[in-house]
Amino acid sequence: MAKRFIVPSLIVVILLSGVAAWMAAQDQSNGNNVIRVVVAMVQLNVAVTDNKGNYITGLRPSDFVITEDRLPQAIATFEEGNEGPRDVLTAAQGTSASKGSGGQEHSRNDATKTASNQDLPDGIAAAVSGANVFILFDTSNYMFRGRGFVFAQDSIAEFVRSLDNPYRVAFYSYSRDFFRAASLTSDRGQVLRGVRTTVNGDDSALYNALLMTLKDAGQYTGRKVVVVFSNGPDNASMVAPEDVDELAQSQGIPIYMISTRDAKLDPASAAVFGRMSATTGGEAYFAKSWKDQRDAFASIREDLAHLYFVSYYPQPNPNRGWRAVTVQLANPKMNKYHIRTRAGYRPIPAHVNVDAATPAE
Amino acid sequence: MKFRNCKSSVSLAVFLCCFSQFTSSASARPDTAPSSSASEATIPGPLRSFLRMAGISQKVSPEEVLPLLSRNVVVNGYDGGKPTQFLVLLNWYLDQARELVTLAGPQGVLRISNCEEAKPLLTILGYRLRQPCGPSAAVETADANRAFLTIDSGFPLADLEETLRGGQSFADPYPSTHLPVLFISNDWLGHTKNGSQTVVDSLLRDSNLARLYWALARIDNRTGLFLEQSLGVKKLIALAPVLDFYGSHISVRDGGVIVPGGTRAEAAWKDLVGATPRNPVDFLNRLLVKDDGWLAAYFDALSRSGPVQQAYFADPGRLRRYYEALRGKDISPSPTRHSFRPDQGLFLLLSNFQLDSNGQPRVPGNLDVWKQVLQGKSDSKVVRDWGKRSNGWNNSEQLMEGMFGVSRYSLEDGPVYCFLTLSEIDRGRTADQKLNPQTFRLLAEKYQHFGDQYTIFSEFHGLNDASIARFLAVAENLDQIPDRLVRADSLGMLQANLGLWQILKRQGQISEAAENSSWQNVVNAFGSVRSSAQVFEAGSTALGEILRASTGKSFLSQDQVIAVLAGPNQETPEGQQVRQEMANRIRVVLDDQRLVSLDTLHALGDGLSQMAKGNAHADTLLALAGELREFEMPKPLFTTRERSEFASGLYGNRHTSLQMRTDLTNVMKKPGSPAELIEARGLLTPFLRDTLVGLNYAYYEPPGAQMLHSNPLFVRSHDFSGGEYSGQNSVASEYTWRSPRLFGRGWTASGGAHLIGSMADLPYVLAKVEQDFIVPQNVQSLIWEDLVPGLMTSAVLSRWWTVSRHELHAAALYQRAGEELMAASATNEKLRQTVVNILSDRMLPQRTEQVELALSSGRAEDLLSLVAPAESFYLAAEYRRRFTGDTQFFGQAGKELEELTLGYPSEVGWERLSVDFGVPHPALEHNYARELLNMKPVPTFLNYSSRLLAESWDSNNLYWARLADEMGYPPVMLNRLVPQLTLRMVEKTFASHLEDWPAVLRAMRETGEEFRQGKIASLQKSGTVSGL
Repeated sequence: MAKRFIVPSLIVVILLSGVAAWMAAQDQSNGNNVIRVVVAMVQLNVAVTDNKGNYITGLRPSDFVITEDRLPQAIATFEEGNEGPRDVLTAAQGTSASKGSGGQEHSRNDATKTASNQDLPDGIAAAVSGANVFILFDTSNYMFRGRGFVFAQDSIAEFVRSLDNPYRVAFYSYSRDFFRAASLTSDRGQVLRGVRTTVNGDDSALYNALLMTLKDAGQYTGRKVVVVFSNGPDNASMVAPEDVDELAQSQGIPIYMISTRDAKLDPASAAVFGRMSATTGGEAYFAKSWKDQRDAFASIREDLAHLYFVSYYPQPNPNRGWRAVTVQLANPKMNKYHIRTRAGYRPIPAHVNVDAATPAE
Repeated sequence: MKFRNCKSSVSLAVFLCCFSQFTSSASARPDTAPSSSASEATIPGPLRSFLRMAGISQKVSPEEVLPLLSRNVVVNGYDGGKPTQFLVLLNWYLDQARELVTLAGPQGVLRISNCEEAKPLLTILGYRLRQPCGPSAAVETADANRAFLTIDSGFPLADLEETLRGGQSFADPYPSTHLPVLFISNDWLGHTKNGSQTVVDSLLRDSNLARLYWALARIDNRTGLFLEQSLGVKKLIALAPVLDFYGSHISVRDGGVIVPGGTRAEAAWKDLVGATPRNPVDFLNRLLVKDDGWLAAYFDALSRSGPVQQAYFADPGRLRRYYEALRGKDISPSPTRHSFRPDQGLFLLLSNFQLDSNGQPRVPGNLDVWKQVLQGKSDSKVVRDWGKRSNGWNNSEQLMEGMFGVSRYSLEDGPVYCFLTLSEIDRGRTADQKLNPQTFRLLAEKYQHFGDQYTIFSEFHGLNDASIARFLAVAENLDQIPDRLVRADSLGMLQANLGLWQILKRQGQISEAAENSSWQNVVNAFGSVRSSAQVFEAGSTALGEILRASTGKSFLSQDQVIAVLAGPNQETPEGQQVRQEMANRIRVVLDDQRLVSLDTLHALGDGLSQMAKGNAHADTLLALAGELREFEMPKPLFTTRERSEFASGLYGNRHTSLQMRTDLTNVMKKPGSPAELIEARGLLTPFLRDTLVGLNYAYYEPPGAQMLHSNPLFVRSHDFSGGEYSGQNSVASEYTWRSPRLFGRGWTASGGAHLIGSMADLPYVLAKVEQDFIVPQNVQSLIWEDLVPGLMTSAVLSRWWTVSRHELHAAALYQRAGEELMAASATNEKLRQTVVNILSDRMLPQRTEQVELALSSGRAEDLLSLVAPAESFYLAAEYRRRFTGDTQFFGQAGKELEELTLGYPSEVGWERLSVDFGVPHPALEHNYARELLNMKPVPTFLNYSSRLLAESWDSNNLYWARLADEMGYPPVMLNRLVPQLTLRMVEKTFASHLEDWPAVLRAMRETGEEFRQGKIASLQKSGTVSGL
C-alpha cells in the first residue's frame, strides 16, 4: 500500500451547504445590453500519473496550479480518491499554504482502498465521498454479435459490485431510445436488477443517450462520472458528439468509454471515443476480448479511487464563450508526471431550462 | 428482444450453428404440455417472459396474445421463407422454458434455498458461479446462447444471485400459461407439413396460418365464426393476405353481408361482385378473390368513408364505373403484395370526397384545370392514358373516375395529391371567399414545386386570389436569384416571416380585415430582392408589417416580439402567468441556439443606414458589431481532414461558415461610401434569418426537446437551399420548397442532424427530431416513430387562449353525457341500438360488437378500454343532433350540457369545440387547421406508417380538457398541461405494433389517472413553473 500524506479533516456540513448553494452570476455590461451567465463552482477530476501509468497519490492542494483562461484560480475544495472533501478556502484562513509534497507512486494494479471516511458519520460520508457513477450500456443490435450482450452485462455487474459503498450508481441503457433502468442509488441490488433486465435490439443512438445521461448527472452535486459501454458506432443520434463533449466538460463530468474492436474499426467513432474521454478527463478502452472488458472496468474503478477532486470559484472573467482550464503541478520536479482533467467549459446562459431532463426517482 | 428496425448483421447460419448445441439438449426435454382445453393454447413458462421474447407489450390482455404473436410472425418471422433471428430466438426460448417448467415441477415454482441447489438451474440458464458460494458469490456466462435467452426473457437473475450470496430463498413462479384461442384449437392444427402439436408451434411454423389468425382476430366474432364454419380455416388460408389488409370491415349479420351504402347499395354490390350480399358465402368468396384483392380493397376503402360518400356510391352504375377506373387494365401488382397496404391515395380520395350542392363531386376550379393536370408530363403510362381520355370529359364524375384510375400510381407530387390539396383549399370557403378557376389553375401548375406550401391556403380561407398569386409569383422570383447564399437566405427569411404571420393569425392576433393586406405586405417586401442587403431590408420590413398588423406598431424589441408570439394579451393572473411561461420557453431556445438578438440586428442595420447618411458614428456600434462574433462553433473533435474523410459534404454549411467569418467591425472602422455602408447591411442577413427561423422553431418546441437546447447549430444549419449545403446538390432544386427532410442523423462527424428544405410541416418535423429524446417508462417499449410526432404536433400547435370556462366545461360534459347514454343503454335495447349505430360511425365492426356486448352484459368497466373520449364525445353530440331536445336518457351531465347550450350557444357548439379541441391533419387533409374529423382509426399505409393513425386520434386534447375542467383548472392552463400530459402519455405508451391504438388509449388513461391523483408534480394547480 502506498504511503499517503495525511491532511486534516474539515467541516463537512458547512462544505456541503456551500457547494450546493454557491452560484455566481457574472454580468458583463456591453452598451445597453446586459448579458448574464451563471458560473457555478468549477469542479475538476484530476488524475496524476507517472510515465508507467502509476497513480501519484498524496498530493496536497498547494501542489496544484489551476488557471482559467490563464487567470490563476484559488482552490476551494480538495479531495483525493474517496477520502472526502476538504474545504481549502476555510482551512487556508487558519493555516499557511503548505508546500509541495512530492507525492507517492501508486501502482494501477494495486487496488488500494482509501479509508479516510472512517471517522465520519455514515450518512455524511456517503453523501460527500465517492462519485455518483452513471453507467450507460449499449443494448443496440451491435450487442447481439457474439452474444456480447451477456458478457458485457457480467462485466458491468462485477463493476457495480466492486464499487465501494460511498459510490452511488445509476444504470441506463440505450439503443435508439434511452432507458433509465435504475436511478441513482446506493442500493447495488437495485442497480444489478436494472443491469439484468435490459433488452437487446434496435439502432444505436449513443450520443443522444450520453446527452440525456449527462443532463441527469448534472442535477446532482458532488463528483460524477459517466461510464459508457458501447459495442459499435452510433447510427441514429440527432446530436453531434461535440455537443455532448461540451456539455460533459461544462459540467465537469469525465466520460469513460469502454468499447470493442468493432467500434475501433469505425475511425470516426474511434476518434470520438478517444478524444471525448480525453477532453473530459476520462479514458477510453478498446477491449479485444471479454476479459479485456473486465480489465477496463477494473481500471476505471482504480481511476475513480485515485482521482483528485478539485474545485474553485472562477475569478471574474469577461469571456462568455469557451474558457480553457489548465492544471499543472507547482513543483517543477513533478513536471514528469502526467495530468488528466477536462480541457475547459462554456458558461451556461442565465436561464433555467424548463425542460431539463428529469430522472425518474 | 426489440425487433423494430432489427438490422443485426449476424448471419442466420452462424446463429443457428451457435445454437445447435443448445437445441440438441433442449429437444431431449419433455415437450410442451397439451392444451388444457379445446379453446386454449399453452405456452411454457410465465406470460411476461413470453411477451418479452415475442415482442408484445406487457400490458395486453391474454386474449390479445396469440393474435399479436401471429402478427409478429407475419411481419418479423420470415425473410425469404427462412426464419429470422426473432423467430429462431423465440423458438429457442420456448425450448428453454420447457426445461424450466420441468425443473419447476408440478407446483410450477422454481425454488432455490441455497447456493448448492442452484447448479441445475444455472446450467439451464447458461450461467455458472464465478465466485464460490458465499457472500461474494456471483454468476457469469457459461453458455452465451442460453444466457442471452435468460436475460432477454427477463428471468430474475439478480434475485437468484442474491440467494447465492446467502440471501433469502429464491422462489420464482414458473407455471405454464394458458391462452384463449380463436374458435377451437383443432382449427389451427394440422395445416402444416411439420405436423405441429400445439397452436403456438403451428402459428410459429406457418406464416400464412399466422396471417389468417391475425386477420380473423380483427374481424368481429360473429363474422369470424361464420367464415370459419362456412369456408373453413384451410380454405381461408389462401385468403389470409386479403383478409389481413381489407377484412376488418367485413361483417355478416342476419344472414347477409353488410355492404358500404347499406341495403340501398346491395343491388350495386351484387352487380359488381357477381353474388348477392344476401348469400354471404358466395358473396365473400367472390369479393375476396376477385381481381387479386383489388375489389376487397375497394370495399374496405368505401367502408371507411362517411355516410355521405357511401350513399353516393350506392348507385349501381357509379359503383361499377369507379371500380373499373380503379382496377384499370392491369391488376398487377396485387394490393396485398407488400408488407404494407399500398399508397393511401384511394383511401384519401374517398375520405375527403366532397359533393357540391347538386350532389355531384366537387371540383376545385373547373374541369379544364384537371384536364390540364392529367395531360401534363408524366412518367406513368396510366396517367398519360387518363390524360388522353380527359379530352372528352364534360362532368365531374368523369374527373373523379380519372382520379380513381390514377390513384394506384399516385406520387407525392402527382395528380391525386394535387387534387386532394386543392380540394382542401376549396373546402370550407364561403361564397365570398371562393377562389377563381385561374387561381386553381395556377396552384395546380405550380403544385410539383410549391405544393407543400399550400397547407397555409387550406388553413386560412380568407387568403384570396391576389394573395395566393402574389405568393407564387414572389416565390418563383426568389428561385431565380443567381447567388446561392442570397437565394437560400431569401427563402428562409420569407418563410420565417410567413411562419410568424401564420402563428399570429392562428392565435387571432391578426384580424380578418388585415389578413390579405398583411400577407401581401409581407410577400411584397421580397418582390424584387436580389442582394443580401435587400434580403435584410425585406426581412426587417416584413417583420414590421406582421407586427403592425397584430399590434399596430411596426417596431418592437425582441422581448416584445416574443411576448406577442407567446400569445394574445391576457386579463387574468393565470393567463398572464402562462403567457409569460410560453415566452420564457421561446427565450430559452433562442439563448441555447445562441442567436443574435433582433435588437442588436435592428440597431446595427439602422446604425449602418445612419452612418451612410452621416448621422451616426461607428464607435457607438462597434460593441454591438462585436456581438456578431461571439458565437463560437462547438469545440471540434475532428480535424478538417477527418471531417472531409468521415463526413464528406455533410459538414460545413456555407451559411454558418459565412457567419463565422463575418466581421462588421472592419466595415465600421474603415467606413466606405454610403452605398457600401448600405450594402454592408447584407452581412446581417444570415443572422436575421436565423433569429427569425429560430422564433418559429422555438414556438413549436416539443415538450422534452433536447436538440433545440443542446445543438447550437440546429437552427443555423437549416438548409434552405434544398440540400446544396448538405452534399445533396443533384436534387437540391427539387426540395427547396418541400417539407423539410431530416438529414445527418447517425453520422458521427456531420455536426448533428439538421433539416433540409422549407419550413412547411415544421411542427411535425421538429417533433420527429425531438421524439428520440423521450424516455419510455417500460423496459421494452419504444417511441413509435410516426405516431409520436403526430401526437406531439397536436399538443404543441394547439393553443387555448380564447377558450372560455363554459367551452371547457362543455368539452367535459359532452364526454360525460356520452358515457351517460352508454350507461342508460345497458338496460334499454332500443337505445343500445341507437348508441351502437352512432358509435359505428367511428368504430370498426369488431369494436362495435365488443361495445354492444359490454353494454348488454352490463360490463361497464370494459368500456373504458373500448371507447375513446372522442367517441363518447361524438356519441353525445350526434345523439343530440339526431334527437334534438330529447334528454330522457341523459343524466346530470347531459342535462347540464343542454342548459349550457341554451345559455351559451356560440361557446359550446360543435364547430367551436371542433376548432379548439380538434387536431391538425397535415397528412390526412393537407391542412394545419384544427378539426374533429369523426373518423375510424386509420390503418398503416406504405410510406406513412402510423402518421395517419396519429391524425385520426383526436381524443387527447378532449380528454385533457375534461381533466382540467374536473380539477378546476382555468382553460388557459391547457397551454401548459396539454404538452406535458401528452409527453407523459407517450412515455407510457407500450404498443406492440404500428396500429396499436388501444395502447395509446391505455397510456392516455394511465396518464389521466396519475394527473388526477396529483402525481405529476410539475402540473399541480398551485404550482408555478421554474423560470418565471
